Amino acid sequence: MPMLPVRFASLAIIGCLAITGFDIATGLEHWPFGSYPMYSTVYSEQLSWLRLYGVTDRGEIPLRGERDFAPFDEARLIMALGRLQSARGGDRKLGEALRNLMHLYNRRIAGRWPTSPPLRALRLYTVRWALRPGLEGSEPPRERILVAQVNADDEAGP
Amino acid sequence: MNRLRENWNRYWFAPENAEQFALVRIVSFGLFFLIYLPLDDRGWTQISPVFWMPISAFHALSGPPHNAALIGVLQILWKVSLLTSAIGLLSRASRVTAAALGFFLLGLPNCFGKIHHLDGFPVLLLAILALSRCSDALSVDRVLRSNRKTRTAVSSQYGWPVRLSQALFLLVFFAAGYAKLRNSGVAWMTAANMRSIWLGELFTHMPPTRLGSILAQSRWLSQFAGIATILVELSALPALFFRRLRVLTLVGLLGMQALIALMLGVYFTPHLVGYALFLPWERCYKKLQAKPRSVRTLALPMLL
Repeated sequence: MPMLPVRFASLAIIGCLAITGFDIATGLEHWPFGSYPMYSTVYSEQLSWLRLYGVTDRGEIPLRGERDFAPFDEARLIMALGRLQSARGGDRKLGEALRNLMHLYNRRIAGRWPTSPPLRALRLYTVRWALRPGLEGSEPPRERILVAQVNADDEAGP
Repeated sequence: MNRLRENWNRYWFAPENAEQFALVRIVSFGLFFLIYLPLDDRGWTQISPVFWMPISAFHALSGPPHNAALIGVLQILWKVSLLTSAIGLLSRASRVTAAALGFFLLGLPNCFGKIHHLDGFPVLLLAILALSRCSDALSVDRVLRSNRKTRTAVSSQYGWPVRLSQALFLLVFFAAGYAKLRNSGVAWMTAANMRSIWLGELFTHMPPTRLGSILAQSRWLSQFAGIATILVELSALPALFFRRLRVLTLVGLLGMQALIALMLGVYFTPHLVGYALFLPWERCYKKLQAKPRSVRTLALPMLL
């Protein structure tokens, strides 16, 4: 192999390994490189999570990322809402985010059959479970605390 | 210094043949095409800018994209480029397009609140293949140029891209294991922590089975899983250097990711391409060559 391609390849190898090593050592993320910290913290036996509930004429219904707010999936949506909640001006940002999500949901169900009633309001709760062996995932939360709410009257597009 | 250089060259620049590398190209791009065929990023144009939390080079954009038609065209281009890269048609342009659009289309969703660690490795692999000479054999371009005899010798330039991709793939897992120890120490390996992860995912994700709920009832199994996870992930670093350990580590990692899919509902499907990098492609090509002529006359044109 000629010298120039070897040097170029060596440079590419060193560059990739250096960024990877730096991210691993520091815990930083330089996507597409990364430190892969998923599930790396110690999880409490008290699970606290954010969850969206829609208010329709029939009452309150739990909503999920993949099904109701695509292209968001549940993990990304909840993480994003959590970051907005703790950001400066969190209340205003959360309100804007929920209005956008309600708009997404109502647009989505408009094309669905059988039809579902549109949302009159969208609520974000902190929900809590005590994790113990024997749970199946269908149990209702032990505690719900309302974090934010938007109503259809003040809905706006993205 | 010379010794170091020799070891470096022996590790990264061991000679390989062009056909073996070409099979890696066909399988990698072919799998990416199949895995990402359902990908549709147009929905992100409907998301409010309040969700826009750019990562990496996306900081250069002023905000989220709003043109769904443009995204639609880009993703068709990307998928076509994956296919043409696999068969080696307009190969260099196809691979550069696949890498550049892959970076954009796979990175875009990560700018809305959370980085999913599924697509980082595929983007790196696409970039490495774009820089390589993986279309020197078994490609439509070569057939069209009618110079099949050229550039099919054994050379070190066919080895380093696969070696680097394998190294980056294994380092993904080492990073995950190291992050657990750095962030939580040995407390991560306790039965209580594994139980909390498995049970929590029943509420926060949509696992396809209740396996997590069943296994969480056994303290012994939870404890074993915690220790085994860390050991298998950390073994990815020495596996770079020891072939026998590499096989064990890869089997362990594949099994672990299968269990993660079943128990947590988190699917690392794009990583299948990473595992495929370690298959003995040279042996596959030799077997294909050794087939009776009647089979080859049918199979090789399809490959080419």
